[in-house]
Amino acid sequence: MKQLNRYIAALLALVMVLALAGCSKNKEDSGDEPYSKDIFAMDTYMTLSAYGDAGEDAVNAAVKEINRLDALLSTGREKSEVAKLNQNGGGELSEDTNVLLAEALKLYGDTDGVFDITIYPVMELWGFTTGEFKVPSDADLNKTLGQVDAGKVSYDAKARTVSFEDGMAIDFGGIAKGYTSAKVAGMFREMGVTSGLVNLGGNVQSVGLKPDGSEWRIGIQHPTDDEQLLGVVKTHDAAVITSGGYERNFEEDGVTYHHIIDPATGYPADSGLISVTIVSEDGMLADGLSTSFFIMGKDKAAEYWRKHKNDFQFVLCEKDGTLVVSSGLKSAFSPSDENAKVEYVS
Amino acid sequence: MKKKDFLIAAVVLLLAGILALVFRFTGGDTAGSVRVKVDGKVVGTYSLAEEQRVPFDTKYGHNLLVIEDGEAYMAESDCPDHYCEEQGHISKSGETIVCLPHRLVVEAASAADADVDVVVQ
Repeated sequence: MKQLNRYIAALLALVMVLALAGCSKNKEDSGDEPYSKDIFAMDTYMTLSAYGDAGEDAVNAAVKEINRLDALLSTGREKSEVAKLNQNGGGELSEDTNVLLAEALKLYGDTDGVFDITIYPVMELWGFTTGEFKVPSDADLNKTLGQVDAGKVSYDAKARTVSFEDGMAIDFGGIAKGYTSAKVAGMFREMGVTSGLVNLGGNVQSVGLKPDGSEWRIGIQHPTDDEQLLGVVKTHDAAVITSGGYERNFEEDGVTYHHIIDPATGYPADSGLISVTIVSEDGMLADGLSTSFFIMGKDKAAEYWRKHKNDFQFVLCEKDGTLVVSSGLKSAFSPSDENAKVEYVS
Repeated sequence: MKKKDFLIAAVVLLLAGILALVFRFTGGDTAGSVRVKVDGKVVGTYSLAEEQRVPFDTKYGHNLLVIEDGEAYMAESDCPDHYCEEQGHISKSGETIVCLPHRLVVEAASAADADVDVVVQ
């Protein structure tokens, strides 16, 4: 009898083990799958996911909106609003370009000219707009750089018009994706989505919490090592946007040239930072600041943050691998390498 | 009788270990595979456990995906920028290789116990 009990106990234990072993799989099945769609737009690959009953409608509406904005903002499409503004040296602004221009000029002022939407002709010179890369001659670069200055853009907010000199050109590329992801997140919320993820080519905006009530875990790509992540940010209802020289670059005569051009020099920024991540509820701000901080470097970035602490948080990676993290992310950010040197800025 | 108790306990633990492993490695489409999409449509799922060379010839062009040592990478592409070949090796959930000109995406398949939900680049 005793022995039988023992076998029954063993059998029960086995059943429990089976239940436990199967646990992770059951969890996977019970969570509602999101409605997801992938699209290619704005020269990048995007994935939209929304959970719940409203998911499908919201994602489909978002795809339409993204295609509309792409057609409006693309510098490469002759008939886009931005291309027309560039052809005519200005003109009337639509609702979207009006918001973008106002924000772009505000950032230009706030960053002391580091964020400059008139850098476009220099990007063209380097071939970053077409993929036909070349290091420009000093003469060409100086001439073109002379026409770069967003301070010379005259903008009339009331009349919603803009004008700029011959030879100048604007491009909202530095904030367009952040603007778009914020807009899509807004649409999700309006349409009743309480949990979703908008990923525009590695620029991520989260809506709500995950369906299980936990925070989203956003991995940051490591700038030099593809075996591991730089770290993970836990967040909700926020944009997480990273800039790094590894995203787009080319090599000539053994030197690597990346696509984040410093408007002060016309050359790829060399500030000591190799990756900048901004976390903010404001996607457009996060987008604009990620490139600006990459150009500014650590000290100026920290100084900027101290003045705008409530608007965003950051993770910087220096050339030697040191991580510089704003104090607001102390508990939300965890580096993947436990031995990484981490400095907190407060 | 004590000895027998041990034996039963040992057998149960061993079974538990084996089962956990089995569930981990065979549990549906959990990590350990990559999914390839063209134009947003899934064209195939490939196990990372199996060394293989998978060519993709679509209306956009040619790509060759290679899987070895449990990782996937783009070995060849006739796209103009060749960024896909520079995106390195992927194996972890959330990681992707994107060949934009060919509208081709390779993604490490997501698992319920994925480390991260998405990776910012």
